[in-house]
Amino acid sequence: MADPVSTMTLRSGAGPAWRMPVAVGVAALAVIAVCSIALPTFLVNNLIRAFLYAALALTVDLLWGYTGILTFGQSAFFGIGAYAAGLVFTHAGFSLPLAAGALAAGLAAAWLVSRAIGWLAFYHGASPLYASVVTLVLPIVLVQGIYSGGEFTGSSSGLSGFDSFDVPLEAWFFIAGAFLTVVAVIAWLFVRSDAGRLLVAIRENESRCEYLGIDVSRYKARLMDVCALVAAAAGYLFACVQMVVAPEYAGFVFGTELVIWVALGGRGSLLGPIVGALLIDVGSAYLSGNLPYIWMLLVGVAFVVVIVAMPRGLAPLAVNALRRAVPRRRRIAPLAVEFVAAPARERDAAQTPRPALSLRDVQKHFGSLKVLDGISFDAHAGELLSLIGPNGAGKSTLMRCIADGAQRSGGTVEIGGADIRKLAPYDCVALGIGRKFQTATVFESLSVAEALRIARYRIAPPAKWKRDTTLELPQPALDVLRLTGLDKIPERECRYLSHGQKQALELAMVLALEPRTILLDEPTAGLTKQERTQIGAIFVALATRYRMCLLLVEHDLDFVREISSRIVVLHQGRIVMDGGVDEVVNSALVRAVYAGESHTGAASAEGSA
Amino acid sequence: MLNLGLDVVTTAAILFIVSTGLLLVFGVMKIINFSHGAFLTTGGYASVIVTQAGLSWWWGIPCALAIGFVLGMAVERFIVRPLYARPLDAILATWGLGIIVGQIITLVFGRGVQMVESPVTGALALPGAQYSAYRLILVGVALVIALALGWLLNGTRLGLQTRAVIMNEALARGLGISSTRVRFITFCTGAALASVAGCLITPLASVDPNMGVPWIVGAFMLVLVAGSSLVNLAIASTVLGGAQVLVSTFINPVLGGLTIAVLAALLLRIRPEGFARG
Repeated sequence: MADPVSTMTLRSGAGPAWRMPVAVGVAALAVIAVCSIALPTFLVNNLIRAFLYAALALTVDLLWGYTGILTFGQSAFFGIGAYAAGLVFTHAGFSLPLAAGALAAGLAAAWLVSRAIGWLAFYHGASPLYASVVTLVLPIVLVQGIYSGGEFTGSSSGLSGFDSFDVPLEAWFFIAGAFLTVVAVIAWLFVRSDAGRLLVAIRENESRCEYLGIDVSRYKARLMDVCALVAAAAGYLFACVQMVVAPEYAGFVFGTELVIWVALGGRGSLLGPIVGALLIDVGSAYLSGNLPYIWMLLVGVAFVVVIVAMPRGLAPLAVNALRRAVPRRRRIAPLAVEFVAAPARERDAAQTPRPALSLRDVQKHFGSLKVLDGISFDAHAGELLSLIGPNGAGKSTLMRCIADGAQRSGGTVEIGGADIRKLAPYDCVALGIGRKFQTATVFESLSVAEALRIARYRIAPPAKWKRDTTLELPQPALDVLRLTGLDKIPERECRYLSHGQKQALELAMVLALEPRTILLDEPTAGLTKQERTQIGAIFVALATRYRMCLLLVEHDLDFVREISSRIVVLHQGRIVMDGGVDEVVNSALVRAVYAGESHTGAASAEGSA
Repeated sequence: MLNLGLDVVTTAAILFIVSTGLLLVFGVMKIINFSHGAFLTTGGYASVIVTQAGLSWWWGIPCALAIGFVLGMAVERFIVRPLYARPLDAILATWGLGIIVGQIITLVFGRGVQMVESPVTGALALPGAQYSAYRLILVGVALVIALALGWLLNGTRLGLQTRAVIMNEALARGLGISSTRVRFITFCTGAALASVAGCLITPLASVDPNMGVPWIVGAFMLVLVAGSSLVNLAIASTVLGGAQVLVSTFINPVLGGLTIAVLAALLLRIRPEGFARG
């Protein structure tokens, strides 16, 4: 892996990531140029529209196929761009400065609307269904606005008969084709880049992304802004070519049609939606004249069948068939990634006497049920503090209250001396906390290296247009990878990892955040005896060698006894003991709690403790 | 003034009737059934068939009930069941189903608007106002539907199982309740209710292949706000329906048409659980 020669050759092979997409883009432009002359006029006319629809479908694919935001509202942004052109050309006339102004106005309006939608739809804790609801409401509101605009917006019949650019059809064909090509190539470069993998990570596990310190809502909103701008530009071109705008182009039925094209073509692939949009739109131009309702019926049936039986759409089918028909001589090897140590960062907080973690009177209640009541303790750097107690004692709840400011009902939590107030998980991460979940949460369709790069997103933002062949990780994360052999398989997809490997990978991801305090919720659940010993040694090293503060929830008392430096016992939402390992493990109270003796027994033990 | 009050009450009743089927399916199955609009349309055409055959309009109700239930059986089995684990995909598949139903109806009946004669014409003379008798009847119908569903859910064994599935599906399965069966019956009932609703609104709205589409969005918003409780749905219908009437009357009808969607979206932003656990 560390062989410099092999790394060199890999780098030269994988370095110019832009070469392939750009080459394909240039080839596509050449084909489009030839087609603009060679194809019959009727087809050219329809393809212009289909090209713009395909660009629009690409934005739906980026939002829904890649990132998991089901949107019905891209049509609204398309409509905004189209109406910007239509309104200006109708009411102010056509001139080049006015055309430029109309484009600018359309883009600005789309951007503003997108910001508003982003604020509504994406916030910490929002459900994916709610985002869809908002994107559904947008086109409905917009269309009603157009209807009530009277003469100004042309109401239900739209605007037509305005002047536009005096450009022959063939040139429009090339312009629309070039627009689609440019959008597709940029999208291609982005989704294949290191930064683009975050789209997939968000789709697969949004919560994990937030606990890796990434403000997912902000990221989604930015993505929607960009997609809105592209959609508005497509709409503007559409109005310029067709010289007609109508409310249907902004409506939610058109928005759902876009989703249908993407689903049929293949969500999460770029070529699929393009082909889907082109085929369906051109197909309907030819067939809807002869078989108007049958054609829509067929599209509807195909859509339902694809959603139910082939969620990935038709693109993977076509690709597989092609692979079988034309066996590749030279398969592109997956990108090998080398893990290197990140330079140690200044640890100013390590010198300060402040506790790594400080809880004062933390409360959590659901209605009248008190789950946590008056929890106060400090934990310092270098401590391995175990939290024990029977099921339902509030251990996991306490973990949540430390890592997410919105969780607790009362009291204060300080991380490294900073009050977390009502901060969201990603802001708590910035304060120096890392949380490992009880069940290993990794990104199933990302590789080991990609998952780790997502974890580094906050500290070292990845390249937006290319793929790096090295990944800097802090030493503790590297140690975990080496010890568990994960450093040998950086290209392995997470879904193929064993349970133990997933646990180790998640731990490495949390360590990649360079946290000063780590929350570990039953990290050994489901591990073999050997893996357990291994991970125990890692924890001890993190506390002693790297001076981290570890807070561990664990049921296995033997394991706790072996590795902890201090133990806190939680019972019915209260701290009933806090002390050294031997003191706690040998106490009558812990025996009483763990032997499951009667409630009164535990309570009286509490009184005597 | 009385007229306005009656407008609010009857609008709420209509919204309630149109949304109950969707609420039932959402509450139990946690999926949004976008073919709800298609079932509404089917119910509307059921009354067209019945009246064209020369029968009384009232025969349309049992007819719509039966068609909706049978159609629901097929849809649940072949489209919805495979998509339980993918709720967003279920929205899309049921929307696609709506397209299919719309096109089939267009092929059979043509795309034109069908007229259905109202079974009850004329207005009721009330002290100080004249009011459409049919709209007032719908208030009674809404009450009957609410009481019937309330009895089904709270007074029968199947209802008990259904409530168990609503609260904790995994636990209910562990207790030996066949959640597949509960889901199946729920979906069929929801479809039947939608179909009846479609039949009931024919005297008020035009019947055409896409008649369900405008209703589905409003119903969808109401259900999201109401969560999974019939009482909350009644409250949501009254509050949002009332707002719609007031905005339509005092500001303008176009804005009124948007009231439910916009208010619900804002309400859910501020209070994601809607009216639930009020």
